[in-house]
Amino acid sequence: MADSSTPALLRVDGLTVEFPGVRALDGVHFDVAAGEVHALVGENGAGKSTLLKVLGGLHQPSAGTIGLAERPYRPRRPADATHAGIAVIYQEFNLYPDLTVAENVFSGREPFHRFHRGIRYAEINRRAAELFATLGVRIDPTAPVSSLTVSEQQLVEIAKALSVGGRIIVMDEPTAALSADEVTRLLDVVRRLRAEGRSVVYVSHRLDEVFAVADRVTVLRDGRHVRTTALADTSPDELVRLMVGRDVSAMFHRDDVAGGDVVLELDQVSAGRQLRDVSIVVRAGEIVGIGGVAGAGQPELSQVIFGALPVKSGRMLLSGADYRPKGPDDAMKAGIGFLHEDRKAAGILPDLSVRHNLTVSVLDKVRGLFGRLLSPAGELGVFDTFRKRLAIRTTGPDQLIGQLSGGNQQKVLFGRALAPGGRLLILNEPTRGVDIGAKVEIHHLINEITADGAGVVMISSDLPELLGISDRVYVLAAGRIVGHLTGDDRTEENVMRCATTGQRVFSATVSG
Amino acid sequence: MKSSTSLGSLWDTWGITAILVLLLAVAPVLTPDFFSLDNAQSVLRESAYLGIVAAGMTFAVASGAFDLSVGGQLALCSVVSLIGFAAGGTVLAIVAALATGLACGLLNASLITRLSVPPFVATLGTLFVFRGLSYILTQDGPKTLPYDQIGSPFVKIGGLNVAGVPVPFVIMVGVFAAAWLLLRRTATGRRVLAYGSSPEAARFCGISANRLRLFVFALVGVSVGIATLTYITRVWTADGSAQDGFELKVIAAVVLGGTSLKGGKATLIGTFSAVLLISVLNDMLVSEGVPSAYQRIVLGGVLIVALTIDGLRTRFAAPGSLRRALSGGRTPQPGPAR
Repeated sequence: MADSSTPALLRVDGLTVEFPGVRALDGVHFDVAAGEVHALVGENGAGKSTLLKVLGGLHQPSAGTIGLAERPYRPRRPADATHAGIAVIYQEFNLYPDLTVAENVFSGREPFHRFHRGIRYAEINRRAAELFATLGVRIDPTAPVSSLTVSEQQLVEIAKALSVGGRIIVMDEPTAALSADEVTRLLDVVRRLRAEGRSVVYVSHRLDEVFAVADRVTVLRDGRHVRTTALADTSPDELVRLMVGRDVSAMFHRDDVAGGDVVLELDQVSAGRQLRDVSIVVRAGEIVGIGGVAGAGQPELSQVIFGALPVKSGRMLLSGADYRPKGPDDAMKAGIGFLHEDRKAAGILPDLSVRHNLTVSVLDKVRGLFGRLLSPAGELGVFDTFRKRLAIRTTGPDQLIGQLSGGNQQKVLFGRALAPGGRLLILNEPTRGVDIGAKVEIHHLINEITADGAGVVMISSDLPELLGISDRVYVLAAGRIVGHLTGDDRTEENVMRCATTGQRVFSATVSG
Repeated sequence: MKSSTSLGSLWDTWGITAILVLLLAVAPVLTPDFFSLDNAQSVLRESAYLGIVAAGMTFAVASGAFDLSVGGQLALCSVVSLIGFAAGGTVLAIVAALATGLACGLLNASLITRLSVPPFVATLGTLFVFRGLSYILTQDGPKTLPYDQIGSPFVKIGGLNVAGVPVPFVIMVGVFAAAWLLLRRTATGRRVLAYGSSPEAARFCGISANRLRLFVFALVGVSVGIATLTYITRVWTADGSAQDGFELKVIAAVVLGGTSLKGGKATLIGTFSAVLLISVLNDMLVSEGVPSAYQRIVLGGVLIVALTIDGLRTRFAAPGSLRRALSGGRTPQPGPAR
């Protein structure tokens, strides 16, 4: 379908995109032929989303050229992309939930009645129904979008793309939130689009889908182009190697710590929208990593342990005893600390001082006079203890937390998580958004915490980090545990294979 | 790194107090008998009920919400308290005022926590409900304190002085002292600030949003109950129209004092000074013979100035902070549910 003799419809050359301090794309080349499904794969942070946003007119490149049908294409705003026939469907949909399906499809381009100037509803409803018919799906054009499932909303986005005469349809992780049946249906739609002569750029973590639907694949890694090849000439294993292909940096250091008694046990726990039948074990003094692609249920897993999400079925044990937290306060009373993955939105208390940010998890333990009132001296004592232990750099206990660097904010939040007792720590993306120096310090710190006997559950999308400091790694995919890697099985290839192909890998023995 | 005691944070706490001191310095020039014992006592007595409710409201605003129903609560507490006095004297009058305030607060709290109505909407609704109830209870004319009961301890609350200081003002100072301890020296006060600063982060600090809101709105109700004792014994009469527009005056005082509408930051010293500022301003306008219509305009101007200052202070804050304040800290879900 797409061989070298076909002239490329879209051609990207030497594309570089720079953000302050980061080069998100570095001289990337990429091309799409007419009537081709071209998959784009890579790890989190490889630059796929950035490339999409350039095509969609959201980011402007600092260097490089894009040609569309032999003419230069320089989108400055999303409308430019639409006019050029490029429709990008982002993971976050651009739909108005309270308007109908047809109103959304034709939003901004509604045909108006000649006399009373109203929208010609009969026409847009008919045309929307025709679009869905070409996609081979049935969706009521008069239904409000909020009543649709995620997969139906996705189809509305696709219909919208078709209605503006999209020649190239770009889909960013279109199956991330779909069930198996819905995925099959979506792949059918993609094939229909190709049969009509349209091109599809298909971004996905799931290699099985890529092999099922795509003609060619381009692998990106760390913002660079690695390889473009026909799917027929490659294998899932090779793609995984190409996606990962880098040395696990020597900067990751893990002390040898002997695992102790079991601190936490999850037995067939289901919770939230997608977490199903998860069983894990965490021992004292152990760092247990949780890996997987984004959206596989990591936040749900961490929140169910912390009592922030109710258990639907299954049970949890803390040091062998039944553990049924009604809320995070119960978890904290049991000595469990929690670090949220979104430091800015759900971590720091921006109006409070560093001291108060730290002691908020132990307010019941810093009471002085009369047993009811907080003791300022007690709070200061707690803060000083952790400032020394975590080497928090601050001008003083009353400095506002927002004035600290990302790494120091993170250390304050570590203090908050440790203060309730340090029996078990749940760390979500512990080094996200901190500089390299702070990252090393934080890794060192996690080592120390386990040396003091705490169990650590670490969720990280940073593979080298996950493998570099975890003793054991569980891999999550679509809310289920699909891998348990110990010892020499802890490789990036194994994690990516479990996470992206759904292949199950379980190490034979559980090492401490 | 910036110093933690920057000019900005000094202004947050003491700015309004500085303006109050300035106003007090020029007051005798404009109003020669401003510092006469009579006038000074009158200003302090007049400020009490506004101040007591403002102390309670400071907690609501600090938590990122506000209570629009306090005007209705004050009218209802006053009417019920007067009925209580007629039926059972001083003790019943006091109990009736406090219990009605608490009941109003608990009703607001349960609407907000059980039915998930945003505080703005819930308390706007109950404002009408409370005023409506007050009107029903006074259908055959406003309730009043009878003149022949002038010797009763309850009636004396409003007029009595202790060493020259009016009792209502003494109560207000007591309320502010207790409120300060509650805000700065208890776990609950800290949780109010934490929740107001970031409801999402507070959730992961083990702070229950429902328990916290129950506390805050009950506290506002109780503060109105206490304020009623100083209010009704000063004006002696009440019906459904009592203190029309009171809620905005209270919120104006809280915001003018430096408590951020965005939540997370509160200053009771600021609220205290702002209440006195409004009372002094009112007193000066009255003694200058400015008609009451113009007094309202001045209050409106003060409110605008207060909100402008708050706006300037939070100009660099995240977008949508006003919407967050209006919906009481709930961030709206972006886009369709996924």
